Amino acid sequence: MPAFSSEERQLLNDSLRDLLADKYTFEHFKKLARAEDGDGFGRADWATYAEMGWLGVSLPESAGGAGGGATELGIVMAGAGRFLLLEPLLGTIVLGASAIERIGTPDQQKLLGDIAEGKLTLAFCHYEPDGGYARNFVRTIARRDGDGYVIDGAKAHTISAHTVDALIISARIGSDKGPVALFLVPRTSAGIKLSPAPALDGRRGAAVTLTSVHVPASAKLGTNDTDQMDAIGEILDRGAIAVCAEAVGAMAAVTQITVDYLKTRKQFGQLLSQFQVLQHRLVDMSVTTEEARALVHAALQAIDDNDPQARKAVWKAKVKTAQCARFVGGQAIQLHGGMGMTDELVVGHYYKRLALCETLLGDGEWYLKQLAAEVA
Amino acid sequence: MFIRSVERDTSLDAFRAEVRDFCERELPPEVRRKQALGQHLERHEYDTWLKRLGAKGWITGKWPKEHGGLGWSPAQTLAFNEELGRAGAPPLVPFGVNMAGPVIYTFGTEEQKRTYLPGIIRNDTWWCQGYSEPGAGSDLAALKTKAVRDGDHYLVNGQKIWTSLAHWADWMFCLVRTDDGGKKQEGISFLLIDMKTPDITVRPIIAITMSHHLNEVFFDDVRVPVENLIGQEGKGWTYAKFLLANERVGNVEISRLEHAFDALNRLLAETREGGTPLADDPLWRRKVAEHEVNLAAVKALMADQLAATAEEGGAPTLMGAAALKLRGTELQQALHQSVMDVLGRYGQIYQTDALHSGWNGELVGPAETTGLVYEHLYRRAATIYGGSSEVQKNIIAKGALGL
Repeated sequence: MPAFSSEERQLLNDSLRDLLADKYTFEHFKKLARAEDGDGFGRADWATYAEMGWLGVSLPESAGGAGGGATELGIVMAGAGRFLLLEPLLGTIVLGASAIERIGTPDQQKLLGDIAEGKLTLAFCHYEPDGGYARNFVRTIARRDGDGYVIDGAKAHTISAHTVDALIISARIGSDKGPVALFLVPRTSAGIKLSPAPALDGRRGAAVTLTSVHVPASAKLGTNDTDQMDAIGEILDRGAIAVCAEAVGAMAAVTQITVDYLKTRKQFGQLLSQFQVLQHRLVDMSVTTEEARALVHAALQAIDDNDPQARKAVWKAKVKTAQCARFVGGQAIQLHGGMGMTDELVVGHYYKRLALCETLLGDGEWYLKQLAAEVA
Repeated sequence: MFIRSVERDTSLDAFRAEVRDFCERELPPEVRRKQALGQHLERHEYDTWLKRLGAKGWITGKWPKEHGGLGWSPAQTLAFNEELGRAGAPPLVPFGVNMAGPVIYTFGTEEQKRTYLPGIIRNDTWWCQGYSEPGAGSDLAALKTKAVRDGDHYLVNGQKIWTSLAHWADWMFCLVRTDDGGKKQEGISFLLIDMKTPDITVRPIIAITMSHHLNEVFFDDVRVPVENLIGQEGKGWTYAKFLLANERVGNVEISRLEHAFDALNRLLAETREGGTPLADDPLWRRKVAEHEVNLAAVKALMADQLAATAEEGGAPTLMGAAALKLRGTELQQALHQSVMDVLGRYGQIYQTDALHSGWNGELVGPAETTGLVYEHLYRRAATIYGGSSEVQKNIIAKGALGL
């Protein structure tokens, strides 16, 4: 029994579409992304998402959430892709919330309520500079120190890490052979150096260096010292499918924009949309988007059904979505010609967002390799 | 089949060494440094370097001797471009040497040759290309910018778009409409316009790279002397097509392809996954080998076109240039996509501020990142500028296959 009925999902989808189409215009996006003194996203928009119940859509009802599943989260993320949202959804309501929910103590679970209310933003800082996309490569170390821990290490560039309230840091306890745990660390803690840099799509973030960062024992998610690598894998899978949903939203939007443009642009005495070779290209964009959407939907469903094959379904979706995103983004620019190369059209911004979706939390090739390893 | 060969010329080893030594000595350190980081060069920085090349006659080395070139063979031209790339020098700016120059020495008057060619040879003048218009992109012949005869002048009115470096240019070679009747190709003329003429407005277009390279250019009753007409009035489309074939060969810049290929290899050596360099990954090695095969194929197509150009009165063919442009630009995008695939591991960082002189912030990720992401974005246009891939395919369908 899904948490949301089809009607409720439709309502969620429509409320996102209607509100964002009104408030999160391309002009608004540019203003937020480029404000020199801002965070690179909208604090007021974040508050609106909380009011609308989007931040807590998949959080337990006990934490003030709506009790939805992966599919409902997917609907929200597709909206993020469609409207190029800049806010830290992935780090906060997907990866961060998932980590707290899976591993956190009952006391820590109370933070989920803060997330739903829009009072807590998070960045999930797991990947490391020499690790690439490898999930099990953790060289950051948390040494016991009195009642707490001292953390040293480095984390790769993570979106919104420069400005969120707290970072979730993975680290091995005791030594480089120790079990992996997750720590919730206030961003402004002494010893954290943030090296801010924008990503290709204009979202801001930072690489993180931790030097003797002291945290209390309560900063560690969960109480025991068992290795959390399996849980981290599940959290990252949840993130991967959310990124796929975001890509599907962006692909659907930019395909429609391209169709509309070709219906207005005339060359050689006819509309571009009347050239068969271009019609077929638009069809390929549309079918490609549908293919990704269907596979992502299937993976979201598998997660909500507790299907034992859900993990592989997510990996397959990430492989396919990455390929589809590359094709659709590239063709959107190509079919717009020179106009597609300008910053003043939204097309290029979709191209860039899709490029990020391709690679965030592992690119298509990486997931294909994981699938291949399981076949062997 | 296999008729015209680009002969292997071992005597070029000495020439290559000469180019290398010259670059070593004469390439300004600041230009070398910025080029290595992929930073934008200022016009004066380009000028310093290009004037040094120009003093040797090397910018226009491939031009025939009677027009002030050095009459280089195709092999020597390829060698020169390769050595420039390897020395870390910026590629030549094509608008004078590849486009304006050959049109002027092929179709221009003696007076025009004397007036314009020396400035290109020495890089005293910068050129820009007045071709595309808002309503005339793929359908270039639909252009509407109008030139009406008024005594000793043409009065030019209209708008050009996607004009690279118009903000630096001293001159524009410009397609204008001098006749509205008849076939649209027949009323086009080829004018040289001094960019300092009153009533020309240049407006920047910011590209998806977030940089200013492209422009719109507006003409509002701009007076151009009649002697700036190339060839005959109404025959401009012939010269335009001649130029386009040269442009398309020039769109495939071997030195840029090699630079991207080398950058990919450097990144693969520098980037680790699970602690192991990506360069050790057999799948990445396979990918690199695939790029190498395609690079060889593009170089071979290029050699064909250069051989055709080197023949007496020869020029690239529209067909051959189209094939080369298709494959060359596809490879360029594929190489830059591979670069992005590696850079994904660093978070696809794009620090646009770092493209500009005097930026002192902290670079995150490999030092080359920003320049490489810029190139990736900019070269999305490679399959659009100079005639989109779709247009190249139409040219081959019609011209080569008779469809």
